[in-house]
Amino acid sequence: MPAFASKSRQLRIAAMFLLPNFLGVVTFVIFPVVFSFVLAFTNWDLRRHNAYRNEPIDFVGFDNFMRLLFESDFVRYLGNTLFLMMGIPFAVGGALVAAMLLSQDTRAGGGRAYLYLLAAGVLIASTALLSAVGLGGSGMVLLLTSVGCGILVLGLGGGVTAYRTLFYMPHFTAGVATFLLWKKLYNPQTGPINTALRPVLDATASATNAAPALVSGARWALLGLAGLAFVWVIGRLRRSWADGDLGGGAACLSATAVGVPVGVASAWSFTAGEAWLLWVLAGLAVAVQGAGVVVRGRELRSAGAMSGVGTALVMGLGVMVLMFVLIGLSAVLESLPAMAAEGLEPPNWLTDYHWAKPSLMIMGLWGAIGSNNMLLYLAALTNVPQELYEAADIDGASRLQRFWHVTWPQLAPTTFFIAVMSTIYGLQGGFEMARTMTEGGPAGATTTLSYFIYLEGFETGRLSFAAATAWVLFLIVLALTLINWTFGNKYVND
Amino acid sequence: MTSRPTATNESHAALSPQALPGAGGRTLRRVMSAGLLHLVLVAVSFTFVLPFVWMVLTSLKTLDEIGLGSWLPGQGGWRWENYARVFEQVPFFRYYINSIFISCWVTFLACFTSSLAAFAFARLDWPGRDQVFLLYLSTMMLPGLVLMIPNYQIMISLGLVDTMAGLVLPAAFTAFGTFLLRQFMLTIPRALDEAAAIDGASTWRIYWDVILPMSRPGLITLAIFTFMGSYHNFFWPLVMLKSQHLYTLPIGLLYFDSSAGQETNLLMAAVAMSVIPMIVVFVVLQKYLVKGIQLGAVKG
Repeated sequence: MPAFASKSRQLRIAAMFLLPNFLGVVTFVIFPVVFSFVLAFTNWDLRRHNAYRNEPIDFVGFDNFMRLLFESDFVRYLGNTLFLMMGIPFAVGGALVAAMLLSQDTRAGGGRAYLYLLAAGVLIASTALLSAVGLGGSGMVLLLTSVGCGILVLGLGGGVTAYRTLFYMPHFTAGVATFLLWKKLYNPQTGPINTALRPVLDATASATNAAPALVSGARWALLGLAGLAFVWVIGRLRRSWADGDLGGGAACLSATAVGVPVGVASAWSFTAGEAWLLWVLAGLAVAVQGAGVVVRGRELRSAGAMSGVGTALVMGLGVMVLMFVLIGLSAVLESLPAMAAEGLEPPNWLTDYHWAKPSLMIMGLWGAIGSNNMLLYLAALTNVPQELYEAADIDGASRLQRFWHVTWPQLAPTTFFIAVMSTIYGLQGGFEMARTMTEGGPAGATTTLSYFIYLEGFETGRLSFAAATAWVLFLIVLALTLINWTFGNKYVND
Repeated sequence: MTSRPTATNESHAALSPQALPGAGGRTLRRVMSAGLLHLVLVAVSFTFVLPFVWMVLTSLKTLDEIGLGSWLPGQGGWRWENYARVFEQVPFFRYYINSIFISCWVTFLACFTSSLAAFAFARLDWPGRDQVFLLYLSTMMLPGLVLMIPNYQIMISLGLVDTMAGLVLPAAFTAFGTFLLRQFMLTIPRALDEAAAIDGASTWRIYWDVILPMSRPGLITLAIFTFMGSYHNFFWPLVMLKSQHLYTLPIGLLYFDSSAGQETNLLMAAVAMSVIPMIVVFVVLQKYLVKGIQLGAVKG
């Protein structure tokens, strides 16, 4: 457009382009936002303001917010939402692993003929294995091997693209259809999950009954592993601190994170009796590394007390989750002999109060590993400069070191973006699953904030109350996003 | 962005120290490691695919064979008529048409109006432009849930509850789309429209003949996002639709589950009919889809 056009002409032309979209955005976004904000401070309730009853609609100040925070199950539903969001780190980690698998070279140079031979060998072996397991004689062996065989043929022919398509299928189709599918998969009586689990659990029960000592031995081993993970983290933190990569404050923060499971294990009745093992290992690690700090000091000073906090926290939190898993498994083993004596039953999944949320998380994981996040990681992985890997190889870096010092930092912006988006979506999530699979139950166990807002606004008709809830949800989203942003920027720029 | 992830990795594999020893050992080692990789990939794919296998097989069984050990149909044979029975019970074809019709309209309107607005933000100089753009940006932060309740009341007062237009309109004007396309248009060299302006092209011609064709990748991305979002949309049709002949696929499925959900085989037939076309569409269009998704997140 010519630069000398008059201001009003500029505006006229711009308006012609802008208006169609602008009018729509004003009508369906900006006006509703204002409307919703005003609504949150009134007492509009369809049960009292309708064609039959017409009580006046008044401003009630912060009444809705007060009732929300103090007289409703808001906190509990927020807890449900956050609980379900604990699946996100696993989903993101899974997406990263999937992307790294898909970025490998699947073609073996020119050796495709060998690959086919290998494939045939694998197929024969797996068929033999399946028959040996006891599925022989039924059509199931044929079915499962032919599914595996089909995938392999697709993969050999189509390479990475074929696998990527298969990985991405659950996410691409995710929606009411797959939720209904999983509702049937989870069916306690006729669902295939429990049908497959029953023989496995029976075998576990008889094995446990036969050798209870083995089970309790495994329990100690798991706790020992958790303790060793703690030892490893403390040692690593001390070394990074001594090398000047890590500030003292950041190291303490990360060490506190891995200390949490130790405390939880001593407080938890299932593991309280064995937790002294953790304390001994943790105490030894702290003593040894503390002595190292005093005796050897540090070679280099770090930039500040909190420098390197991002990497240290990711490591600390990762190991914390691992320790929780190990401690949880050892708690399962603790109660296994008693349960096995009465025979093990598969869970009732969606209809069991304690299993409903984990069920939804498992389903979420199935749909979230091969997701858009995987595609983003895949794109980011191809953008990592090859020179960095070559430099790492020359320095003699191991595979793990290559990942930790080259790949992971290069992926940081992508991880950051994914973390921000997942948090935003996660807080608003759970509505579709609740509506199609569980109706928020059993006993409210799967009612998330979005489902709560739907219930209040569209089922009960408490419009103002629902609007107030939506705004509180927005504030939570905003707060978490800001936290993400502050920490994330620091981390990405580290 | 390279489209072939394997290409760079292969050149890298050739450089890695493991690949150096004698030629025969190298081939064998490569085949072994590729074989292992295939094995892992097959195992992972297997878990992703298995639910779909169960879905298809269950949809072909009789009701009383479900829950027995084998997934395959037994005495009852392969019941292809289950699919016909779904069509007898609910107007399933109608759901398809509704979903596709609505998604197409939403996609067309969103792409068209967003590209117009994005052009105004990226290419035109006018007073107040940056302020209006900031207003657009700030609306993107808001959760959709905040808007649902007032929007429903707006639909009531416009008389659009339980109509197709009521489903299309709120989804058709997106600040997100405008933002995405604006970012894309900013990467198109200014020299192009300046040259067109010197040749005497009107502003509309610059938009239509220069910028729009150049924005094709961005438009494809936006179209994919909008179409998928609309096709999967559940909340809005759920609250808006009362009459069966307007049901979209997700709402139709939910209705079928509540009316005939006990008949797992029929429900799985319905689920399969809504999932399989999507898989086919993905396989056919995946080149564009994958690039579009990767591009959208980088720009957006």
